[in-house]
Amino acid sequence: MSHATDRHSSSGRQVPPAPVTAPSAGSPAAAGTGVEGMDQILRRETHSSRAMASIIAAVLVIALCVYALLETAVRAVGQPPWLVDPQTAAQQVVSLPSGVPPLLLGVVGAVLVMAGLFFFLNAVLPGRRARHVLLDRRAAVVVDDEVIASALARRARLAANVSPEQVMVTVSRQQVEVNVRPTSGVPLSRNAVLTAVQDELQEMGLTPAPEARINVASAGVVGA
Amino acid sequence: MNGTPRTLNRVLIGVLGFKLLAIGVLLILLAAVPAVAAWWQGWAAGVWSIWRDLFERTRFPGRAESWLWIVVVLMLLLLIGAMVAWVAQQGKGRANTLLSEEDPGEVPGNVRVGSGVAEQALRAALADRPDLTGTTVATYEFRGEPALRIRIQPRHGVAPHRLAAEVSALVEALDVALGKRTLVLIHIASGARSRFGRAERVR
Repeated sequence: MSHATDRHSSSGRQVPPAPVTAPSAGSPAAAGTGVEGMDQILRRETHSSRAMASIIAAVLVIALCVYALLETAVRAVGQPPWLVDPQTAAQQVVSLPSGVPPLLLGVVGAVLVMAGLFFFLNAVLPGRRARHVLLDRRAAVVVDDEVIASALARRARLAANVSPEQVMVTVSRQQVEVNVRPTSGVPLSRNAVLTAVQDELQEMGLTPAPEARINVASAGVVGA
Repeated sequence: MNGTPRTLNRVLIGVLGFKLLAIGVLLILLAAVPAVAAWWQGWAAGVWSIWRDLFERTRFPGRAESWLWIVVVLMLLLLIGAMVAWVAQQGKGRANTLLSEEDPGEVPGNVRVGSGVAEQALRAALADRPDLTGTTVATYEFRGEPALRIRIQPRHGVAPHRLAAEVSALVEALDVALGKRTLVLIHIASGARSRFGRAERVR
């Protein structure tokens, strides 16, 4: 299998025209931004910052506050209320099960529980992103799992000699699953595919290193 | 690597989620269990009467309205301000200078290199590669030091480790040109353009 590994020797303009060597000896790495800074960057990049959930939460609270502000301000200057007077609202809340159909109350409660679970789980779970870390001698490198999957799919497809539609790869934190549907009538060497995928994984050197598994479908594809 | 306050996010989201959860469970119990409804009416009525007394006692002399309403308005404004400040904290931390050092030569003064230098050099070096659909380079401040974030989107099937090795060779060349190592993050990402674009078949 001649897997094209020609190195695209620094395509086009390589802007700094200096030779590719280690940085000059006169510039040691700045203090405090060495290996541990790298580790911290990698940890931050492989975990979610929960910025999206935070923004949603803040917008919710702001909307609620703006409405309460409107009613309170209207009340403070002695004008008639817009939708509901704060005092009437409070009295309704106190006498709650009465005045509202129980089904509606239950549904509203269920919706609130859902929203609460979304925010609470977002905060409590570790929030790992679907990314792996690549070892590199200079930079901190993170790779989306999708990119790894498409690279592995390409390698597996070449090893199995099938078309791209016949290979599906899913990458999770600890496991790589390669699903191959062979072409009908053409034998497929399971070991060859497994070796190719394992080779590619070895070359990548991912952290945490996932384990490869191959599933060869029993039904073949006709005419691929 | 940006300055998003992650711990604060987790704590605030957690508190809000817990409150919503508690209110939701209470509403469901009110709808379903009569005993809870009886308890709630007794308890909430007590709390409400305390507040009503408070509002009665804090009236403006000679008027029907309480000045407590103004306090409530101020509190709400404060809360809105805090929320806006919280949103503004997300994703901050972009930097403008890549390097700022004193020049040891004979000419007095110091040297500053803007972040545009590294950003444009790397972008230009990666611009006409056929195996990439997009490159973004940005400078962030990380622990008081500038750090580069290189985000590249390869096409389908490009081996990430080879791409990473080539980009880090570019970064090393940039180190030599600048004479200083900065922290660099290379993020090999998948996006809509790499998902729906054509596959890279030649490499």
